[in-house]
Amino acid sequence: MKKSLCLALMLAVAIAFMAAGCGGEPGPPDTSIRGEVKVAGSTTVLPIAQEAAVEFMEKNRGADVEVQGGGSSAGITQLKEEVIDIANSSRELQPGENDDGSIVDHKIAFDIIAIIVNPSLKIKSLTRAEVKAVFTGEVTNWKELGGPDSEIVVVIRDQASGTREVFDKIALGATPEKPVWCVPSAIESASNGVIREIVAATPSAIGYVSYGYVNRMVRAVQLDRVAPTIDNAAEGRYVMARFLHMFTRGKPEGPTRSYIDFVLSDEFQREVVAQEYIEVRKVLEK
Amino acid sequence: MSTGAPEAAVKTRAWAGAFTDRENYVKLVMLTCASVAILAIILIFLFIFRESLPAIRDLGVRNLFFSTDWRPNVSDPTAGNYGMLTFIWGTLLTTFGAMLLSVPLGIGAAVFIDQVAPDRMARVVRRGIELLAGIPSVVIGWFGLILLVPAIARATGTSGYGVAAASLVLVVMALPTITTLSAETLKSLPIELKEASVAMGATRWQTIYKVLLPSAREGLLIAVILGMGRAIGETMAVQMVIGNARAFALSPFARTSTLTTRIVTDTGEASGIFRSALFAQALVLLLIAMVLIILIRVISRKREPA
Repeated sequence: MKKSLCLALMLAVAIAFMAAGCGGEPGPPDTSIRGEVKVAGSTTVLPIAQEAAVEFMEKNRGADVEVQGGGSSAGITQLKEEVIDIANSSRELQPGENDDGSIVDHKIAFDIIAIIVNPSLKIKSLTRAEVKAVFTGEVTNWKELGGPDSEIVVVIRDQASGTREVFDKIALGATPEKPVWCVPSAIESASNGVIREIVAATPSAIGYVSYGYVNRMVRAVQLDRVAPTIDNAAEGRYVMARFLHMFTRGKPEGPTRSYIDFVLSDEFQREVVAQEYIEVRKVLEK
Repeated sequence: MSTGAPEAAVKTRAWAGAFTDRENYVKLVMLTCASVAILAIILIFLFIFRESLPAIRDLGVRNLFFSTDWRPNVSDPTAGNYGMLTFIWGTLLTTFGAMLLSVPLGIGAAVFIDQVAPDRMARVVRRGIELLAGIPSVVIGWFGLILLVPAIARATGTSGYGVAAASLVLVVMALPTITTLSAETLKSLPIELKEASVAMGATRWQTIYKVLLPSAREGLLIAVILGMGRAIGETMAVQMVIGNARAFALSPFARTSTLTTRIVTDTGEASGIFRSALFAQALVLLLIAMVLIILIRVISRKREPA
């Protein structure tokens, strides 16, 4: 008696699950946008482009967006060779890359890198030379910069980070041929959030994060007496900032255009791009 | 009654026959399980070896295993330097530090459980230590991050991250292994040993120190080695408190990395020879683990005839 009851119960559960599975069947597919879009380039833009591709394909079941990494330069080369439709880039076009003016630039996000310190540290502004000295280990004690007598704890991003790439380039003067290395004792962290946690918990720490991560737990330092704000960065006074781009050959059409429009849409900018960067509209309006 | 016996015999034989069939079946299942495990080990080893081969070939053993210069290059992997000695040293140093504390603690706790404590208290202590083994490493690492690191920072005036914090976290991870295995070993000693010792007029402490612990030496050693294996492989908890730096650690409060934490930190975008160098680190880890296992084998074989 008990056994059969048990069996019946299991059967019921199984059927319920199957029914639930059936419930997930798609409704009539939205066929408004069809076709293939091939995207490649910067690994910094990659997460955004991938997220956009997933959401875009959910809305347009006929569309097929394929996103790959490879780096900004490789993406631009492939775009010109007509291998891909969109080249993601974390840098501007260089002289010689767009001599015939055929490449169209779509700015999709704005990134400001802020240098942060623990709020207890009475350092308000650093010059670029001082920043370089601190991060490369030439200066190891805050005393030398007019602060307290304590060892400087440098916190940086991991190898793969686009933020680190930009910081190394602008703040430390690194080039791909001649990289500049931060002090070996620097703490490497895999995310903006972890850097903020460490800097907030360590009184003598200094690090850098994307602007969106600056909050009350840490204090953003001025660079050459310029504060990292959207205004200052948009007008070029604060130098550690950059646009993220999507390049196309000529004016985009068809699914390529729809995809870029989706990336630039208010909803996607607000919900995905703003997680780590600044919505591009806020900057371009200024 | 008289007919009952042969009937029962027949029944037993039939049942035994069924049992052997089933036994064969079970044997087959077990064999499959075992082969899967062995196959997995062989495949893992071959795979890691194959993937680390490019780094070994292009960089040479000296630049890869005996250099402290770790400066990988993401965009052009061949332009980087991939010496992993810093991280091998980091692994050995944190493990040694952890053993320094967890071996006396673990064996002490085992003696307490098996020899000193009254039954009920021994049971409570044992359960408590077993519970410790079940705590996920990320939780222990989190405790290290919010309690241990600030405490070390206050006490030493350093950042608090570093080898010492990592070792202390590893003590918590290795302690359950060492304690439970040591307690089992002590429990398996023949009671006559203790009785003889006490009969000779030895005190309780003399009995433990001069008779029981020396007799259990091999078993205790195995417990320590297994605890060490746990410490060497731990990644998450260590990564949270060791400071993830690429500097060679010269002080217990220096920030550095271990093999496991470096693999996790750098795997993200690694390609080409950079990726291969990370696999070479995994290979070193695997070799350390194998050395430990062989040590256990040798020690337990030595123990058998006794």
